[in-house]
Amino acid sequence: MSRRGTEKMKKFTRLASTVVLAVAVTMPLVASAADRSVKVLGWGAKSGPLKSFGVNSEAALRSAIAQINAAGGVKLGDGSSAPLEVVSYEDSACKKDQNIAILRKTASTTDAIVGMGATCSGSCQAMYGVLQKKIGDTSDSGVQMPILSDTCIRPGLAKISEWAFRNVPNEVAMYDKLFTWLRSENPDVKTFSGGTETDQGHSFITHTAIIVQAAIRHGFEWVGPSVPELGPKVKQGMKELQAAAKTQHWLMGDTSYSVQARKIKKQNPDMVLVSSHPFSACGFLKEMKRQKVKPKLLVGLTSSASQETLNGCMSAAEGLIIPTGFAPITPEAISANEIVSKAGGFLDLHSAAAWENAYLVKAAVEKAGISATADTVAEDRRKFRDALASISGIAGLIGPVTRDGVTGEASKPYVYVQVVNGEWKVIHDPRG
Amino acid sequence: MDDFWFEFVEITQSIGDGFLYGSTYALIGIGFTLIFGAMGKLNIAYAATAIAGAYSSLAIFTLFDVSLVIIFIVSAISAAILGYLVYLTCFRFIPVHNHLAALMASVGGLFFIDEVIVHATRGSPLNFPSMFSEAYFEVGPYGIRGDLLFVFVIGLISTGVLLYVLFRTRLGLATRAVAQQDVAARLCGMSIHSTNSATFAVAGLLGGIAGAMTAAAVGILSPVMMLPLTIKGLIVTVIGGLGSIPGAIIAGLFVGSFENVVMYVRGIDERDMYVVALLFIFLIFRPNGLFGKTITRD
Amino acid sequence: MDYYLNLINTIGIHTLLGLSAYILLLTGQLSLAQAGFFAVGAYSAAVLTVIFGWNILPAIGLAMLITGFLAFLVGFPALRVRGLMLVVATLAFGEFVRMFFYNLKWRVTHDGVEVGPDGTMGFSEIRYFAEHGWTSWEVTSLIWIFVIIVMALIWWADQTRSGAVLRAVGEDELAAGTIGIDVTVVKVAAMTAGGIIAGLAGSLYAHQITMLDHHAFTVLLATFAIAYPILGGVSNVFGTLVAVIFIQGLLVEGLRFLGDWRMLLFGALIVVVMNLKPRGLFDSQTLQWIKNVLRLRFFRRLS
Repeated sequence: MSRRGTEKMKKFTRLASTVVLAVAVTMPLVASAADRSVKVLGWGAKSGPLKSFGVNSEAALRSAIAQINAAGGVKLGDGSSAPLEVVSYEDSACKKDQNIAILRKTASTTDAIVGMGATCSGSCQAMYGVLQKKIGDTSDSGVQMPILSDTCIRPGLAKISEWAFRNVPNEVAMYDKLFTWLRSENPDVKTFSGGTETDQGHSFITHTAIIVQAAIRHGFEWVGPSVPELGPKVKQGMKELQAAAKTQHWLMGDTSYSVQARKIKKQNPDMVLVSSHPFSACGFLKEMKRQKVKPKLLVGLTSSASQETLNGCMSAAEGLIIPTGFAPITPEAISANEIVSKAGGFLDLHSAAAWENAYLVKAAVEKAGISATADTVAEDRRKFRDALASISGIAGLIGPVTRDGVTGEASKPYVYVQVVNGEWKVIHDPRG
Repeated sequence: MDDFWFEFVEITQSIGDGFLYGSTYALIGIGFTLIFGAMGKLNIAYAATAIAGAYSSLAIFTLFDVSLVIIFIVSAISAAILGYLVYLTCFRFIPVHNHLAALMASVGGLFFIDEVIVHATRGSPLNFPSMFSEAYFEVGPYGIRGDLLFVFVIGLISTGVLLYVLFRTRLGLATRAVAQQDVAARLCGMSIHSTNSATFAVAGLLGGIAGAMTAAAVGILSPVMMLPLTIKGLIVTVIGGLGSIPGAIIAGLFVGSFENVVMYVRGIDERDMYVVALLFIFLIFRPNGLFGKTITRD
Repeated sequence: MDYYLNLINTIGIHTLLGLSAYILLLTGQLSLAQAGFFAVGAYSAAVLTVIFGWNILPAIGLAMLITGFLAFLVGFPALRVRGLMLVVATLAFGEFVRMFFYNLKWRVTHDGVEVGPDGTMGFSEIRYFAEHGWTSWEVTSLIWIFVIIVMALIWWADQTRSGAVLRAVGEDELAAGTIGIDVTVVKVAAMTAGGIIAGLAGSLYAHQITMLDHHAFTVLLATFAIAYPILGGVSNVFGTLVAVIFIQGLLVEGLRFLGDWRMLLFGALIVVVMNLKPRGLFDSQTLQWIKNVLRLRFFRRLS
C-alpha cells in the first residue's frame, strides 16, 4: 500500500474507533418502553469458566418475568398495572471491577429499581461494600440502590449493607439437618475425612466451618491427623482443622490429586467429604476411584449439585450426596424447569433463586407502591428496599422461603439429592 | 522404625507419581523451548493450543466414538493446525526484531482461544476418556498408575520422534539452521517463514499430545487448566534452559516430582511457593538454566 | 455520571499500573512483577485505613514507600536475568506475592465488626471513601491528580537526560556501560520507581473496589500491566494512556452491547492491533502526525 494509502487508512481507523468508542460508552442501557414499566437490570458471569451460571440465571430471570408479565404484570402505587422489564443482562465475568462498573451503570444511568446479580461471592462482597451501609446515613456516600442476589453463596454477606439482599440457601442449616439424617440412616458409618479447594473462599469456608463441624456435632469422628479440641467453637476448630488437613486440600485448577487420595485411603474413613466445585471435585473423585477408595458415604458441596458434575464425572461421582435448594419435585418446579430449558438454561439451586427473585421483586414492588417514572427513581428504589426488607416470606419453587429483613438473607427449603446411575435423584425430602 | 519406613514409602511414591506426571510438563516445556530456540520469541498461547487440541479430540470422540489412540492423534493434529494459525496471526506479519508485539499478540491469542472454548462448552468441565484408567499395579508397598505409566511412555516416544526429526531430517536441519543464524540460513536458500511455520506445527503436535495426556491423566477437561499449565511450562523451560530440549525434559520431570513431594510433606498452601522458590534458586545460581546457552549479543 | 467517573477512575488506576511497567520497559526489563507490587500497595494502604484508621493520603504515602522498598530489593536479583528469564522470574515473584496474601490473616474488631484480611476469604469493607462521604467527583480528582503528576514527571524525565539514559540502557546495555552509564543504578532505580507507582495504583484500587482477595492479583493482571505499554508503544507516556482507554474503555466497557461476544473480541482485537501497529497504538509515527496536524493548524491561524 502506498504511503498516502497507509496514512488514509490510519486516519480512518482512528476516526472509526473514536466514533465506536464514543457511541458505545455513552450508549445508555435503557431500552425505553412506550408505557411505564418497572425496570430491573441483571448481571452474572457470562464469560469465563463460570459462564453457565450467568447463562442459567439469565434464562431463569427472563423466563420468570415473562410469566409474570403474561399474568398481568405488577401493580403500581396508583393502582395501574405495568410490566416488569429487564433492561439488560450484563456479563460481569466474575471480576470485581466489572461488577462495580455494572452496578454504578445501573444506578446512575438507568431507571432500574433493583440490580439483580452477581455470580461470584467475591464480586458480591465488593459490590455490597460500595453500597451505602446504613439507610439514611447522610455521611455515607455509598450507592443507594437495592441489590438482590441469586448465586453468591458465601455465608453472611448481605449484612455488609442494608441495601443488599440475597436469596441463597443457608448452608449451616442444610448441612446440620443432612448429618442428622445421615446419622440416623447410617448407624454403621462412624469415621470421616475429606478435602476442599483452598483457593475458593466459598468452598473452603463452607467445608471447614460448616460441613465438618456439622458432621462432628452429629457424632461422626474426624479421622484426619489428630486434631486437638475440635469443637463447636468454629474459629478455633477452623485453624486446627486447616492445619491438620492441609494435605487433603487442593486448588481449584489442580490436575493431580494422587497425594490427597492416598492420604484419605490410608485413613480409611467410612465417609468422605468433597467440598469443591465440579472440576476439582471430579478430579479428586476420579483419583479416589483409581486408587479404589470406596467410602460408604460421599458428601459434596452445594454448588456441585448441578449438571456440570454429571458432565465431568458421572461414574466417579456415583453415590455423591448433596443438599440442594432445587429439584424438580413440585408442580411449580417442574413447569419452571421446562420453561427455562426452552429458554436455553438449566435450573439448579442457583438459577432457581433467580426465578424466585422475579416473584420476590413483584411482591416487593406491589408492597412498596412505586410510581415507575423517570423522576421518581430514587424514591422508588428506597420504597422498594424498605418493602423488600419487610417481606417475611414468599413461595419458593419447592416450598416457602422465609426472609430476614435485618440481615437481608433467606431461609430456603431443601432436599437431599444423590447421583444414582448417572443422574441426580432426590433421596430424602425433609420439607414440611 | 516402622514409621520411618512408612514415610519413606510415601515420599518415594509421591516422587514417582510426580515424575510420571512431570512428563506432561516436559512436553509443554519442550514446545516453549522449541519456539524460543527457533525464533527467540515466546508464544504464550502455546499451552492453550495444547488444551484446545485435547478439546477437539474430545469432540471427535463424542461424535464418532473412535478408539482412544485416535484421540491422541487427533489432539496432536488439531494442536498442530492451531499452532500454525497462531504463527500466522501472531508472528508471521510482525517485524522480526519486535519481540514484544509478538508476545502481546500471542497473549491476545491465548484470551481468544480460552473464550472460544468457554463459549463452546459453557465453561463446564467435561469427562475425558483415559486409557488404562483401571490399571493399577501394586509392586510391594507401592502403587503405580497404569495410565500415568502410559502417559510417560507416550512422552518418551514423542520426544524420541522429535529428536529424530530435528537431527535426522531436512526439516530439523532447517529449524536448527534458522535458530542459529537466520541470515545465513536465508542466504542458503531456506525460507524462514516455512521453517518457522513448520516449527510451530511440530511444537503444536507435541503440545496436542501433552494436552491429551494431561486430560487423560486427570480425567477431565476444563478451561481452568490452561493458565496453570502455561505457568508451569514456562517455569520448566526456564529451569531447563532456554532453547534446550534435554533441559526441558529433565526440568519437567524434576518439577513434577518436586512439587508432588512438597505437596505430600508441606501441603497445598505451600506447594506452589516452593516451586517458585526453586525457580528463584535456579535463577540465582544458574541463570541460564540447566543447559541453557549463554545469551550473547547476536 | 457516577458510572462514567468510575470508568475514568479505572482508566486512571490502570494507567498508573501501565506506567509502572512502562518505566521498566524503557530500560529493557519486561516485568510481570508489577501486579505483585500493585497487590502490596493495595493491601498496605487498606490495612492502614481499615485496621489503623489512618487518613487516606498518609496511607497511600506509606504504601508507596513500602512497595518501593520491596521493589528496590527485587531490583538487585533481577539484574542477573535478562529477557525471557526475567519475564518468568517476575511472573514467579508475582505469584509468590499472591500466595502470600492468599495466606494472610489479620483480623481485628472495630465497633463489634470484624475487619481485616482473612486468608482466602479476602479483605472486605475497605470503605474509606464512602464512610467519609467522598463524592464521586472527589474520588476521581484524587486519582487523576496522581495520574497527571506521574505522567508529567515521566514525560519531563523523558525530555531530559534521564530519559535518554533509561532508553540507552534499554537499547543496548553493553554500549551504555561503555559510555559511563552505571547500568546497575539505572535498572534498580527503574525497578524502584516502577514499584512506587504500582504501589500507588494499588492503594487507589483497594479503596475503589472495597474488597481485596488473591483472585484480583493473578498473572492476568500482570499481563495487563505490560499489555498497556506494549499496546500503547514506548515512545511516550500517552501511548500507555491510549492503550488503557482502548482496553478498559473500548474493549471491556464499550463493547458491552455485544453481550458475551465481547470477551471473544477482546483477544481477537488485541491480535489485530498488534499486527497493524506493532510499535504500539501511539507510536512515534502517530506522535509526529499529531504534531504535524497541530503545526499546520497553528500556522494556518497565523497566516
